[in-house]
Amino acid sequence: MSEKEQPKPAAAPPPGPPPKPQPKNPGFVTATVDGREVVVKPGTNMIEAAKTVGSEIPYYCYHPRLTIAANCRMCLVEVSNAPKLQPACQTPLSEGLVVKTATARVKEQQRAVMEFLLLNHPVDCSICDQAGECKLQDYYMRYDHKPSRLEGSKILKSKRKVLGPQVVLDQERCILCTRCVRFMQEVAKEPQLGLFGRGSNERIDTFPGAALDSNYSGNTVDICPVGALLNRDFRFRARAWFLSSAPSVCTGCSRNCSTFVDFYGQDVYRYRPRENEAINKSWMCDHGRLTYKELNRDRALQPLAGRGPDARDVAKAEAAKVAATKLSALAGTPGLAVAISPNCTNENIMAAMSFAKDVLKVPHVHVSGRPTGAADHLLLTADRNANRKGLEWIAAGFGLQVKPFDELSRGIDGGAVKALWAVGGDVPEDLGAFTQIASRLELFVLQAQNESRLGAVADVLLPASSHVEDEGSVANQDGIVQRLRQAFPPKGESQPHWKWVSDLHAALGITTTWASAREVWRALSNRVPELASFEWDTKAPPAREARGLKPIPAAADGRPPGYREYGAPRVRGI
Amino acid sequence: MSVFALDRIAQKFPDALAHRYTDRGGGAWGVVKPGALREVMSQLKNDPELEFKLFLSADAVDRLQLPDPAPRFEVVYLLRSLKRGEVAQLKVRVPEEAPELPSVTPIFQGANWWERFIWDFYGIRFAGHPDLRRILLYEEFKGHPLRKDYRLRDRQPLVPERPLRDIFRGPGTSGAA
Amino acid sequence: MAEPVDAAPQAGESELEAHLETKRMIVNLGPSHPAMHGTVRMRVELEGETIVRADPEIGFLHRGFQKSCENVTWTQCLPYTDRLNYVSALMNNFGFLNAVEKLIGLEIPERAKFIRVIGSELHRMADHLTCVGAVALELGGFSAFLYAIEARELLVDRVTELTGARLTTTFGRVGGLNRDLPDGWVDKVLKSLDKIALLRDEVDALLTKNRIFVDRMKGTGVIAAEDALDYGFTGPCLRACGVNYDVRKAHPYWIYPALDFDVPLGRNGDNFDRYIVRIEELKQCDRMVRQALSLLPPGPVILDDWRIVLPPKPEVYGTIEGVMAHFKLIMEGIQVPAGEVYDCTEAANGELGWYLVSDGGGRPYKVHVRSPGFAILAGVPRMIEGRMLADLIPTFDTINMIGGEVEQ
Repeated sequence: MSEKEQPKPAAAPPPGPPPKPQPKNPGFVTATVDGREVVVKPGTNMIEAAKTVGSEIPYYCYHPRLTIAANCRMCLVEVSNAPKLQPACQTPLSEGLVVKTATARVKEQQRAVMEFLLLNHPVDCSICDQAGECKLQDYYMRYDHKPSRLEGSKILKSKRKVLGPQVVLDQERCILCTRCVRFMQEVAKEPQLGLFGRGSNERIDTFPGAALDSNYSGNTVDICPVGALLNRDFRFRARAWFLSSAPSVCTGCSRNCSTFVDFYGQDVYRYRPRENEAINKSWMCDHGRLTYKELNRDRALQPLAGRGPDARDVAKAEAAKVAATKLSALAGTPGLAVAISPNCTNENIMAAMSFAKDVLKVPHVHVSGRPTGAADHLLLTADRNANRKGLEWIAAGFGLQVKPFDELSRGIDGGAVKALWAVGGDVPEDLGAFTQIASRLELFVLQAQNESRLGAVADVLLPASSHVEDEGSVANQDGIVQRLRQAFPPKGESQPHWKWVSDLHAALGITTTWASAREVWRALSNRVPELASFEWDTKAPPAREARGLKPIPAAADGRPPGYREYGAPRVRGI
Repeated sequence: MSVFALDRIAQKFPDALAHRYTDRGGGAWGVVKPGALREVMSQLKNDPELEFKLFLSADAVDRLQLPDPAPRFEVVYLLRSLKRGEVAQLKVRVPEEAPELPSVTPIFQGANWWERFIWDFYGIRFAGHPDLRRILLYEEFKGHPLRKDYRLRDRQPLVPERPLRDIFRGPGTSGAA
Repeated sequence: MAEPVDAAPQAGESELEAHLETKRMIVNLGPSHPAMHGTVRMRVELEGETIVRADPEIGFLHRGFQKSCENVTWTQCLPYTDRLNYVSALMNNFGFLNAVEKLIGLEIPERAKFIRVIGSELHRMADHLTCVGAVALELGGFSAFLYAIEARELLVDRVTELTGARLTTTFGRVGGLNRDLPDGWVDKVLKSLDKIALLRDEVDALLTKNRIFVDRMKGTGVIAAEDALDYGFTGPCLRACGVNYDVRKAHPYWIYPALDFDVPLGRNGDNFDRYIVRIEELKQCDRMVRQALSLLPPGPVILDDWRIVLPPKPEVYGTIEGVMAHFKLIMEGIQVPAGEVYDCTEAANGELGWYLVSDGGGRPYKVHVRSPGFAILAGVPRMIEGRMLADLIPTFDTINMIGGEVEQ
């Protein structure tokens, strides 16, 4: 080049990217899913957006409350801004995007992913608990209904490996979605599970020498989409399609996690967490899961009159009459004490307190309940009683003072208290010690759900039904009131506490208008300011849950096939 | 319903058909307003070009558990024309609060027993029916069993049954007799 | 009729000429009565021998078919359908399956269609033989009844070999058939048809020109064609009135277009014509079965789609896909898309219609059976009011009202 040449004029800069399209709805993202327009907040992923217009995108590893892994590849959909299929769980919607979830390409992809997932999946449906609530089964029928093309054998891994007190792992069934690993790490904050190995030999396991003993290990069983992680307590006990589910609340502590009660006939088989953004998100602790056993074990089902060896079975009316006459004889005297358990529902507590105040004329009630435990970092509270808040509100509303339980036991011990009407049979002290003390009472009327040594020293034992056998409501320690639905009618001769109170009134010639828990609420809740504003009827979740991805078709009356109503239990030794 | 018949009805009685649609199997349905039922049936039977003289059957559907449960009942009429070789498929929507329809027994004798069946099992009355009483169930029976809110398990024995818990009386029957 | 008059003889009248006091009597026939097929109660108001009013009361066999079907899966409905017209169960099964297949939109394999036709025609023969035999029995011709039942036994044996059950067959599945023909069955059927033809001719010879039979059957139980249509008669009862309507010819299904057969018609709509139509139809059924057997193609008897049809057992026990499909189909049922359909086939007694409503799940939402017997039984009072009590018996027989189908 010579120096005389003019420098070339600078080339025009290449055109930049096209300007971003103006959002159609400012502040939101507008896109098209399957021909229908969706308007969502920015950052919403495609699975959630598609749900709003009724398009279901299948997924295994995605969970709305966990981080995104995008390793199952089931949710791949066709999008307009990329030539390859994109994972819908990972990709947020962008403005003007056109998403198609049911084209031939997407369907072939879904079929292929299912085929790959099933290649090494053991033929275990007959012995796997997850059958009936298994995503592999449901998605197989919808997206891949073709025979297997595998020639040869499947990879073998550990089967029925006990990981901890609650959880057993079948590594062959695992599809390595890592939901359990992410849950333990992010939600339970106890990273006890991990992925080991590579390729076909990859597996989920606990670290060597360690166990999955977190108080939240049961949730890994809930979120596992297949039958890899299974609950040891529930294993082989019932088939999912025979269980009905009623929405209720766990009464193990004062967190009151929302639950589903899975039952068959009149036996409860397990609790499952119900989604509740305000209280427990989608989780439950293991302690609470196991409290279902109280509903089955050692239930008091027959009214008894007489103490110890004199105890004889009596009819409900006679038991109420005996209890009522004896209690009313002592009404207003300082020797009569009333103990109410904070594990009762609001309706039961209100009925009991109205009897205590208006008929028995006691100035204060003692609070019984379960002994305190240790709280944990997530859900479990130290107070192991369900409805202490409700009890305090109701006592304040009725004008009754609340006294601690040790005053009661000291009173009985000292002789100041001669008669006790106890609603609820849990005792916050040592049961044996209190039973000794209670045997000094001249009159002990006990309304209890379970048989115990305490019931043996009662003069009149009125069997109470549990919280799943009646409609009701409870308030948790944060003051949130929740509605419980009835799963099945009261077992044996038991009745809800409020019904016993109504019978006691009737035995004394006082009529009450309480025909159901709802009537109790309507009659009495206006005396309690915190409860008066709670909409008892409308805040109730629907009485039964439709189960599964494609729910087992319920009969015309809502029950699954083969349902045998309220007869002898199918499974012994619950 | 044959499309020809539907067109004819729409022509003669423009207000009679509330709705027309085609079902999954390709048959055309006409949803008739209750007030126009007798006219439509009469026309279908007597029109020389239609001649739907064979009364196949009538039945009701309780839509309580379908996604859109209102109005609650649908009474379905099926007629056949031998001349045209087609089936006429008519529906009338009946609300729960006023479960009544005009009877077509004066037009088709065969409707007599089918309407009694619908009364027996669904509780829909037919005004002008000569003898509207239960046909398959006994007179003392309370309720209308094919309604979706009638439980499968509810038995109403005329003679009290023995309270044997061990006998399994069939799906949905109570363990307690 | 004469009004009741003082029974005592008038002056000049001998006792033999005195008027007999008459009054109307209400006689109860059934429900437990050998002539009231399938437990029907007839309250007949008699003036002497003449029936002034007849009021059938049904419901003694009502077993809650529709309610039961609404609470089980589609495949589990099949045993309930057997028990509708229990004399020709295969026709109920296949009719129901046809309607479900129409609702889903399935086309079953050719071989399945042929076998469905063969099964239907064999059971049609069984039904007609039972009817003809019962007519003879109740008019006193016991031998003809036994011949007809012997012929029916042959058919029942063949059907047992095919389906496993004599009466309530539960044969066929959505998408085809659950089982193929057993080995050697075709030859056995042809031999049985020969024997049945002999027996049928024997019955025909005993009855058709029999003076007593003809006197009791001709001119009794008459219904005009207009009335028959109005009541909803179909099948042999309608064809006996002269109306040429057979679903197999009017709206052919399966392989009926390929078969060569005639539809016998009557003239007078009386009991004798109904009987003759049935005898002739027996001959036509024989013809159809022989043709179908000769044209039977090889091939699968059921579809291959595991959303509808259970996988073969080696797959169910050996592969995860098979066991999953099996589980879901058994527990949740075939997911029939939401919608409704009306479909009909020609059963032995007439047009067996099915109005099915699906809500998209594995269980029917509504199963309405348009049973031919229901409409025909409703027309019985019309046929015998004004006639003699003795005419009620052959009328009740020839309409071939099967209790299970009428009362669901």
